[in-house]
Amino acid sequence: MKVSLARHGGQAAAIRLQQPPEVVDTDTLPRSAATELTRLVAAATASAPAVSDRPGRARDAMSYTITVQDDGVTTDLTQSDTTMSPEFAALLDWLDKHFTRP
Amino acid sequence: MTTTRRVHCIIPPHLLDKLLESDDSEVRKAALDTMLTTTRLRGERAIRASFIGATAPGNGRRTVFDCRQGRVLPTATLVRTEEGTASQDASVNRAFDGLGLTRDFYHDVLQRDSIDGLGMRLNGYIHFDRMYNNAFWDGQQMVFGDGDGRMFTDFTGAVDVIGHELTHGVTEYTAGLAYHDQPGALNESISDVFGTLVKQWSAHQSVDAADWLIGAEVFTPGIDADALRSLKAPGEAYDNPEFGKDPQPAHMNKYVNLPNTERGDYGGVHINSGIPNKAFYLTATRIGGYAWQAPALIWYESLKASTSQTQFQDFADTTYQKAEELYGADSAEQLAVLAAWQDVGIHISGIPTGIARTRSHTARHNGGVGHEDGVAALSKQIKALTAQVKALAEDVTALKSSNALKSSR
Ligand SMILES: [Zn+2]
Repeated sequence: MKVSLARHGGQAAAIRLQQPPEVVDTDTLPRSAATELTRLVAAATASAPAVSDRPGRARDAMSYTITVQDDGVTTDLTQSDTTMSPEFAALLDWLDKHFTRP
Repeated sequence: MTTTRRVHCIIPPHLLDKLLESDDSEVRKAALDTMLTTTRLRGERAIRASFIGATAPGNGRRTVFDCRQGRVLPTATLVRTEEGTASQDASVNRAFDGLGLTRDFYHDVLQRDSIDGLGMRLNGYIHFDRMYNNAFWDGQQMVFGDGDGRMFTDFTGAVDVIGHELTHGVTEYTAGLAYHDQPGALNESISDVFGTLVKQWSAHQSVDAADWLIGAEVFTPGIDADALRSLKAPGEAYDNPEFGKDPQPAHMNKYVNLPNTERGDYGGVHINSGIPNKAFYLTATRIGGYAWQAPALIWYESLKASTSQTQFQDFADTTYQKAEELYGADSAEQLAVLAAWQDVGIHISGIPTGIARTRSHTARHNGGVGHEDGVAALSKQIKALTAQVKALAEDVTALKSSNALKSSR
């Protein structure tokens, strides 16, 4: 399973527009980490609203698109700072920590 | 040759200031009287507003909350109030001071009582999330991240970013500009314009002394970037391997068409804002002096006259109209507005291109001369008004004495 994270919008929107998404492949992770990521992805997918919830009156809030590629199926999950579910936040937090690890 | 100028009754405060310094004592007195009258009216309006009391007025009272690296605002801890003492945490104090400067800017410069004009409370949330590279307005309050320490640092460090976010609130309570495509880019531009004005006003910088940058302080020292955006030179705020080149256009012929999606920054609201940003910069530099005076007033009045669907062209036309209402037809201010929009590729509706070119040429080469003409015209108008008031006062005195005579009989 491949999971990628793209960040959009916010004060640095113009910079983010030009940044490629970050990608992690569960095949390259230790077994426990792969299991944890799979669990977080499943929870975030189950909690995803049918239509992506646009941030309404928020301004400069960031949005995140997490793309999951698994067995030839691609799923896009997009949520924003002000509307994300706790499950999406947990997945985002895991990915953030993974990508910023030195 | 005589020229007629339309001079309106509402004289902008900074022109009154100028008239107060006039060599002519009658002009000084008339300006003072006008000032006292408007202050009195303003007081009445404020009293009336407090009776209506739609929301509990907070006099723009500030409160700062610490998210302690969490993402949930309701669980944040209260760390500083209007009455409380300064914190040990510099981020708390920077947020608190930035909220105060922005509130004072709106109050002192534009006579606006906080974000909603009714003294709305100002709440700031700091230390949002871990390594969060952003600051935002959530529709009611502002939220700051600490930055990742690698590229970005604490967003409370940039007073123009604080002014930018709170101005999103002001826009919401006035024009309510939609947050996508051209209205969205205007929304972003308004926040950049008033964000930089808060900074320029608080540092007492003239248009020439100001850096016209947004968020110069948010980068770590290792990052080769001037700022997040530049109103003076959109497209030139940064150009480095980490970020690429600043993609902001400074002219309509470089307008960037992006989809109205999260990925497309809702049609590039943070991208195309470069065009109206540059128009404001050009207006301010042509008028000269301090940008928070005439240029800010023209933009603020135009914001209040805009709606959710206002496009660049509509906004440009409104600034031209407001410049005329405030400073007179063909005033240096109005010509500066005309020339500025023309330079970013937007032609004011109803002005034939040939005439626009000649007029803006005059604006470019006349500098402040036209402005002095405007002040002179106002002085004349006030003199005439003073004469009328004098005549009226004499009539009243005459009436009184004749009445007194009648009753003594
Ligand atoms: Zn903004």
